[in-house]
Amino acid sequence: MKNFYWNRRDFLAKVTASLAASPLLSRANFFFGQSGKSAPAPAGAQADAASKPIYRTLGKTGVSLPIVSMGVMNADVPGLIPRSYELGIRFFDTAAVYQQGRNEEMVGRMIKEMGVRAKVIISTKVVRPGWTRDRGQTQERAYSTAEVKAHFFDIFQQSLKRLQMDYVDIVFNHSADSPADVTSEGTLEAMTALKKAGKARFLAVSSHQPEMALKEVMNLGVYDVVLIPINYTMANDEGLLKTIDAAAKKGIGLVAMKTQAGGPVRPDPKLGKPLTPASQTALLKWVLHHDAITTAIPGYTTYEQLEQNFSVASSLAYSREEREFLGDKNTLANAQFCVQCRACQADCPQGVNIPQLMRTHMYAVQYANYWLAADTMRAIADGEGLAVCKACTSCRATCRNSVNIAQKIEHLKALSSTGILKA
Amino acid sequence: MLRGFASLLILTLTSVGAFCAERTVDADSKRQEMLKLLADPLPSGAVTKHGASFYGPDNLYEYMDGGADIFVLYGVRTLMHADLRAEAVEVTVDVFDMGAPDTAFGIYAAERSPGFHYKAIGTEGYQYEGMLNFLQDRYYVKLLGFGDGADALLEKLSQLLSQRIGSNPGFPKLLAKLPAENRIPHSEQYIPASPLGHAFLAPAYAVAYKADDREYKLLVTVASDAADAQKRLKQLEQHFATSGQCQPATELGEGAIRASNSFEGSVLAETKGQYLLLLLNPGKGSEQFMRNVAAGLE
Repeated sequence: MKNFYWNRRDFLAKVTASLAASPLLSRANFFFGQSGKSAPAPAGAQADAASKPIYRTLGKTGVSLPIVSMGVMNADVPGLIPRSYELGIRFFDTAAVYQQGRNEEMVGRMIKEMGVRAKVIISTKVVRPGWTRDRGQTQERAYSTAEVKAHFFDIFQQSLKRLQMDYVDIVFNHSADSPADVTSEGTLEAMTALKKAGKARFLAVSSHQPEMALKEVMNLGVYDVVLIPINYTMANDEGLLKTIDAAAKKGIGLVAMKTQAGGPVRPDPKLGKPLTPASQTALLKWVLHHDAITTAIPGYTTYEQLEQNFSVASSLAYSREEREFLGDKNTLANAQFCVQCRACQADCPQGVNIPQLMRTHMYAVQYANYWLAADTMRAIADGEGLAVCKACTSCRATCRNSVNIAQKIEHLKALSSTGILKA
Repeated sequence: MLRGFASLLILTLTSVGAFCAERTVDADSKRQEMLKLLADPLPSGAVTKHGASFYGPDNLYEYMDGGADIFVLYGVRTLMHADLRAEAVEVTVDVFDMGAPDTAFGIYAAERSPGFHYKAIGTEGYQYEGMLNFLQDRYYVKLLGFGDGADALLEKLSQLLSQRIGSNPGFPKLLAKLPAENRIPHSEQYIPASPLGHAFLAPAYAVAYKADDREYKLLVTVASDAADAQKRLKQLEQHFATSGQCQPATELGEGAIRASNSFEGSVLAETKGQYLLLLLNPGKGSEQFMRNVAAGLE
């Protein structure tokens, strides 16, 4: 049996190099659709913060932005905003739900103190009623179109008040993770009215289901901008890449989030060893190599992270350390992780909850956190768990990204047989 | 040799299994403890709709999306979430086990605003537009109510939960040692990671003050010892020397600095034992204020 009892420190040091094997390096779409820009960076080519940033246009909005912006959501440090502006950042993204409105207050206060409202792009996000509830449960309470519309107006007005602004440049329909969320009639009515009233210049949707959201947005023809997670683990998702390109060609402005797949926030704090700077900039550059993405909004919380992220804005050439990080072959098979897109479930004839099993595998094998793995597996509904997998000689489900589902199911079966995981 | 290897493997797996079983039991017992908070009877005959769900740092984002990260930064251990119904009222209950009273205070303070209506629940709570949140011991409890009579139910539910949590160590002890005069109410904070955007300043307590129309903020970073505090001061000095300007503040004592840059404004900083004290936006009377702070920490 292969020894897959990983040291978690090793895994997390290479956490999102999941597609970094040499076969992918040689593919054109390693550079996410761009080719011909793969020459190694000459010595000293790393950009410094003072260099002129690369600008791109946000779809049909005509807004020109540096390719690195600020996702304010985790930051509780007012000084980061003026410092970001000093370095050249011009787009600041917040949301009503971040720190219960305190985040918007901070953004509003600092932009006002700096006197730069006309020179920056501000976005905020509004959630639909009932959004804070457990997404896994059926929403027993349905909201009428009128209620949804009224709720949106109410939340948005509160946001404007906290921001101390008369308008925002972009308002997002926040966390729209189903077609119904994206096309919500009440939400669209509210957003359209706000745009007409001049309170929101552009309408947008944020979603963790990027391909679905982009397709719905292209069909609707109402939204101007889409905020989606994009990172290195999605390099093999040709469907998503094509959809991104198609959306960009249609003039949809694309903003990237979760570009560093959790960055320093998610790794276990007990490790005490942060991911290397090269990993963070490598991951960000990888996303921005795709011209369809206008800008990324990494969520930094320190001045060091700000400077590190913004150094990417003026040069996308990879350093040797960045190439080494992205090209580490040893991580390919073991460091893939499931992005919970759930596309694989359609392939399973038994109705197994594959995404939950993949998360179980991640906790057990890659984090060596057996109690969390056991917990995760126990939470799977009866008839959808690992026990059902025994009906198949091997798993037929295919991951739309890079996860070797069959291999991980076999790993779990082996672990389960030791008693560490009770199926 | 093969038998020896097999024996070793079995021993290892048994030990790992026992360890994991112990960890699983530990997690289970903590959840059971949290579940007791929602045991029957609940006020106004409220019942849980689907049973409680639990989330940890690794999957909290599934419930809270991007809002999860700040809870992870503040050290969340477990979230217990439940939906309740009592006649026409629906209530969302979120109980965050933050691991320790200081980190619970930290996240509670990060989300509160001076404009909220504060209530005497637990250590402190507030009610605002259908929500009632409070802090007690290592828990941060967030209640959200919908429907006629929601506010009254939230009030009763919060009192019951507070009673069931029981222990109430109050606010972080260090805050009581800092000057009370001119303090802006409800401005105290505990910041476990990257205070003021600098990782080397962690962890830190902060309090805002206002006097004569001038607002200023005190940050007290807790180093491991006096030498570590001195090291932090040096790092701060280097930061300001690079990004702005920095000079000795001899009026405060040896090693103290007065510094400024374009994005953080002006600061006074000095060490006191294991503490590094920073005063943001100093003005008239700041030197005496800093002496008062240092005296309070002795």
